[in-house]
Amino acid sequence: MASSSVTRSRDVKLKGVPASPGIAVGRVLRLDERGRHQFYYIGVSAAQSRMEVRRLREALQEARAQLQVIKVRLAKQLGYEHSFILDAHLLMLEDARLIEELEHDIRTRRVNAEWAVRSVADRAIDAYKQVNDSYLRERTSDLEDVATRLLTILSGHDKFDLSKLDQDVIIVAKNIWPSTVAELDFKRVLGFATNSGGLTSHSAIIARSLGIPAVVGLHDVTRLAKTGNSIVIDGSEGCVILRPTKPVLTAYLAKRKREASHRARPAANTAQPAETTDGARITLRANVELHTEIESLPLFGAEGVGLYRSEFLFLTRLPELPGEDEQYDLYRKLAEATGEAGANIRVFDLGGDKLTLEGFEAEQNPALGLRAIRLSLRVEHIFRTQLRAILRANLHGRLRVVLPLISTITELREAKRIIADVKQEMAEARVEHNAELPIGVMIEVPAAALMADVFAREADFLSVGTNDLIQYVLAVDRANENVAHLYQPLHPAILRTIAHLVRVAESQQVALELCGEMAADPLQAIALIGLGIRTLSLVPGSIPLVKNAIRSVELQRVRSLMKDAMKLASSREVEELLARELPRQAPRFFAAWSSRA
Amino acid sequence: MQERTVTISNRLGLHARAAARLVRRASQFNSSVKLLREDTGETADGKSILSVLLLAASRGTSLIIKVEGDDEERALNALAELVEQKFGEELSDGVF
Repeated sequence: MASSSVTRSRDVKLKGVPASPGIAVGRVLRLDERGRHQFYYIGVSAAQSRMEVRRLREALQEARAQLQVIKVRLAKQLGYEHSFILDAHLLMLEDARLIEELEHDIRTRRVNAEWAVRSVADRAIDAYKQVNDSYLRERTSDLEDVATRLLTILSGHDKFDLSKLDQDVIIVAKNIWPSTVAELDFKRVLGFATNSGGLTSHSAIIARSLGIPAVVGLHDVTRLAKTGNSIVIDGSEGCVILRPTKPVLTAYLAKRKREASHRARPAANTAQPAETTDGARITLRANVELHTEIESLPLFGAEGVGLYRSEFLFLTRLPELPGEDEQYDLYRKLAEATGEAGANIRVFDLGGDKLTLEGFEAEQNPALGLRAIRLSLRVEHIFRTQLRAILRANLHGRLRVVLPLISTITELREAKRIIADVKQEMAEARVEHNAELPIGVMIEVPAAALMADVFAREADFLSVGTNDLIQYVLAVDRANENVAHLYQPLHPAILRTIAHLVRVAESQQVALELCGEMAADPLQAIALIGLGIRTLSLVPGSIPLVKNAIRSVELQRVRSLMKDAMKLASSREVEELLARELPRQAPRFFAAWSSRA
Repeated sequence: MQERTVTISNRLGLHARAAARLVRRASQFNSSVKLLREDTGETADGKSILSVLLLAASRGTSLIIKVEGDDEERALNALAELVEQKFGEELSDGVF
């Protein structure tokens, strides 16, 4: 290529965390104003300072009005649990002391309103940072959000009216805040790319619930991308290409078309069973994070909920947790919505990267620390409250509980003892409930996989959680960009582990389910059924796609293909085998699908 | 001026929600409301969320509520009651 004097390099590929699947191609809309807004120091006269005080008061009023509107929209779009954060913002804008301090700054230091907002906010933020309380330190981001809103109003150039975008955009930002999401015109937003965040970050959850592609954890995408640049987001692979050249763009447009032809059109195959050409019936269930997703499950043809991540509902409210009645209401809705097909509630999987409860300090190695069932058994009253809510809600449907991160049989026995105890207490107190509550063990820890036969004897069912299982078997944190390439779902070690679990489940006659992102990838999902998995739980939006893949293959042939795959030496060889053989076996689906990066 | 010593007994202490309830209630009265942490001597304006949050009063913290004004008695009773009732957060068995 001859050109070289271009100031902006093309085809800049950034690797991040795949947060929400799909491909988006479009123009960047960069929202870096959410960080530190531009502001200027202007000295003013006594007369002018009265003007500045008036500007400040108007800005405060405008900010409050904006937040009221946003709060209503947010509650409508994402549910009440996400609007809580805005209450804190509103109270700050009503805080008489804060307003007094701002006005005092303007009057005595003779500065413009912008400067007063910036310096008062900085002083307050500093004060909070001094306090030895992690919850309070997090409130500084709320203060920053409020200050930024005021500065944006004051400086007049309200960058974009996000609710009235005139063209389709891909949002590039440090982070997607709940208040930003509420302002967005979703019809125009094709995807997100953010600097920070992991799979469980707000940005990721929101993108998945909206069904738009997103890549998070990109570190410095806001520095490299400018508003108006062309951009490609591959939410399935977890990468972003800035200013793509024509050949790259063409390749991604083709890939997007392939995916689109398989994806979406939820209604198209909801009535059809997920059945292979040789008549093997696969059950496809939904993973649910946001409560609002429950209503849309029938659209995608989900057969109940295989994984209800109970802690996600409350992440914006931690360290507070909801009381029994509030949980009961949510679980009851879940039970009623899923009916006979039922729902597996994974008990609070807190700790680790998903925020800690108050009173527990950050750990050196949270992935191996006090989290999930370990935390539930330690903070038993929280566990008991959740169990009571589930047992009561179970009157209205078919609920089951799944215990996350079990590593020894004593944890299962202890949890079962507590569950039995709670049931007895409720019976004695004559609290209405349905004690028919099957208990499942999540197989995520290698020890649990190796000991699956022991767990199978004492649990009602087993549920493989591939996201964590892969992380622990391969000792790879996929959010860590230095080792993310070693996170290989098709590593033969993973295939052998799953095959072992299938054998154990068959010989012990215990139900086996599998949930995780592997199940949402058509190629990997076929690999899983080839290994003998019969029940998959995945993000609802991917169910129609995976169902099409299942309906295109013959189970017998896929089984023998996977027998060969397990003998291979590396993930790479497995991928090559599948990419070569599946299009031959099932051209209807995989011929168009293959040639993945 | 009237004052009374209360102990924060809800599980989460004076965090956002509890602080918000306290500030809203305090703002309903004409009297000025000061909160004094017994252990550290820090004070806060009971009508300011930012100020109340900065106390970082966790469960077990003793606070002196000082109220001054024409409706001080009613204000003090209302605020002490709110704290004693754990800010209305903990119904049923008081788990959360």
